[in-house]
Amino acid sequence: MFAAFIFPFLIAVGTMCAISGILAILMVIADATIGNYGTVKIAINEDKTLEVEGGRSLLITLKDEEVFIPSACGGRGSCGLCKLKVMEGGGDILPTELSWLNPTERKQNVRLSCQLKVKNDMRIRVPEELFNVKQFRTRVISLRDLTHDIKEVRLKLLEPDSIHFKAGQYVQVEVPEYELTDEPVYRTYSMSSEPFATDEVELEIRYVPEGICTTFVHKHLKEGDELTINGPYGEFLRSDTTRPMICIAGGSGMAPIKSILMDMNRNHINRKTRYFFGARSKRDLFLLDDMRQLEKELPDFRFIPALSEPEPEDQWNGETGLITEVVDRHIKDASDMEAYLCGSPLMIDACIETLKKNNMPEENIFYDKFA
Amino acid sequence: MQQTAILDKIQHNMQPGNITRSGFLGTDTRHLGDILIDDDARVKRLGVSHQAIADRMQALREKGTQGLGNEITIPPHYKIRVDSVRGKLPCPFGDVGLFPKTNTTITNTDTGETITFTDLSTHMIGVHGFYEGHGGCFRLDPEKLVSTLDVQPETE
Repeated sequence: MFAAFIFPFLIAVGTMCAISGILAILMVIADATIGNYGTVKIAINEDKTLEVEGGRSLLITLKDEEVFIPSACGGRGSCGLCKLKVMEGGGDILPTELSWLNPTERKQNVRLSCQLKVKNDMRIRVPEELFNVKQFRTRVISLRDLTHDIKEVRLKLLEPDSIHFKAGQYVQVEVPEYELTDEPVYRTYSMSSEPFATDEVELEIRYVPEGICTTFVHKHLKEGDELTINGPYGEFLRSDTTRPMICIAGGSGMAPIKSILMDMNRNHINRKTRYFFGARSKRDLFLLDDMRQLEKELPDFRFIPALSEPEPEDQWNGETGLITEVVDRHIKDASDMEAYLCGSPLMIDACIETLKKNNMPEENIFYDKFA
Repeated sequence: MQQTAILDKIQHNMQPGNITRSGFLGTDTRHLGDILIDDDARVKRLGVSHQAIADRMQALREKGTQGLGNEITIPPHYKIRVDSVRGKLPCPFGDVGLFPKTNTTITNTDTGETITFTDLSTHMIGVHGFYEGHGGCFRLDPEKLVSTLDVQPETE
């Protein structure tokens, strides 16, 4: 009786195990063959050809070949920064790319390199300036609280030991694995240091609740730690004209403006400059001494901090109101001026409207939006 | 709610590493259908609707934009900061479009409670009644939303 029950049961279990085993072997074979694209050639700018293993995204493949494409989301297709022209071998545009590409970009074969898998030989175009981008091993030499939620991070470059960048550019910081991420992620931050100091990079990083990089910097990073960065990137640069400049920033938007001002000071560029910095209350202001010192050194520079909601204990006698209101009070005709804006998209959009209302041509407005 | 193949696909989108690194489900191991049913019942017990909660979130977010990225005081008792980080996210339910990574942080100064939500959170609550899984960083408890944002019960 028992045998009559147990033998069919064992046969059934044995059959199931055999089927599972065969399926597992098939999956291993499929993984090794279907997903194996072998060696693939990527021709860059008709100038240089890389031989790489296929199968990964174009962004990661290029990074491993030390061709760094900017990406603020670590390859998840949510920042739209890693666009490249793929002239051949890219296949059809993927659904995950569609919303990032306008009709002109689609016609010009622009693709999101993080979404595109390298499966066969490709011809791509990489902007020349990205060949100046390098990866740097650095050491944290100081961490300083600038406000209750903004930290200054100074990094000493170890290898390579110097960086050549222009004031206003940014780097990508590699956040290593820690409690909020099980793989390295990359975030972009403007450099606040001046280009003259080639052996150091200084960043100003504002804490964002649950932000992977900002939590790492504010709660885990220590002086003496090593940090990997790559760069420089970006085209938020001072133009080579003599027009009077209006700079407007808020929060960590101070970083590239500070770099631009220090660079002007170093190179004796004496353009008339008015720098409007918006904050809520006094505890959100920082680097006031540095800005006052620049006022003494740059002949026609004025720093104009403004508080939108000063606290009674602030005993604030300076400008008050939204930064747009303050700019509006000070600038009556901006038709021959240039503006440099860095901060939240809300602030930048509102400032652009204010400047245009005061006759500033749109082509004279340069900005670095956190968006 | 039956866990259909469509909900399975959506739940897959919500796993860590697909749309966002930490996903939308936190430590919640229940089927998405069960999460939606549970939160729907909680919202009904509060006498409000998902859309009313989302409308209130949106209205206060709009008021917060006046601060141009800085915290702003909004009567009768809110401090609101609307700020953005780089990037946009698709909806895990597959809706058309991308949602900017705009964070709205609202503190009710009477209760001391603070809530942070994204534009995508508001969309998912209003359209899908989804408040994210328990244990996630962006989980929004309906009770806390209603009390912090003063969402008024709907009259018959």
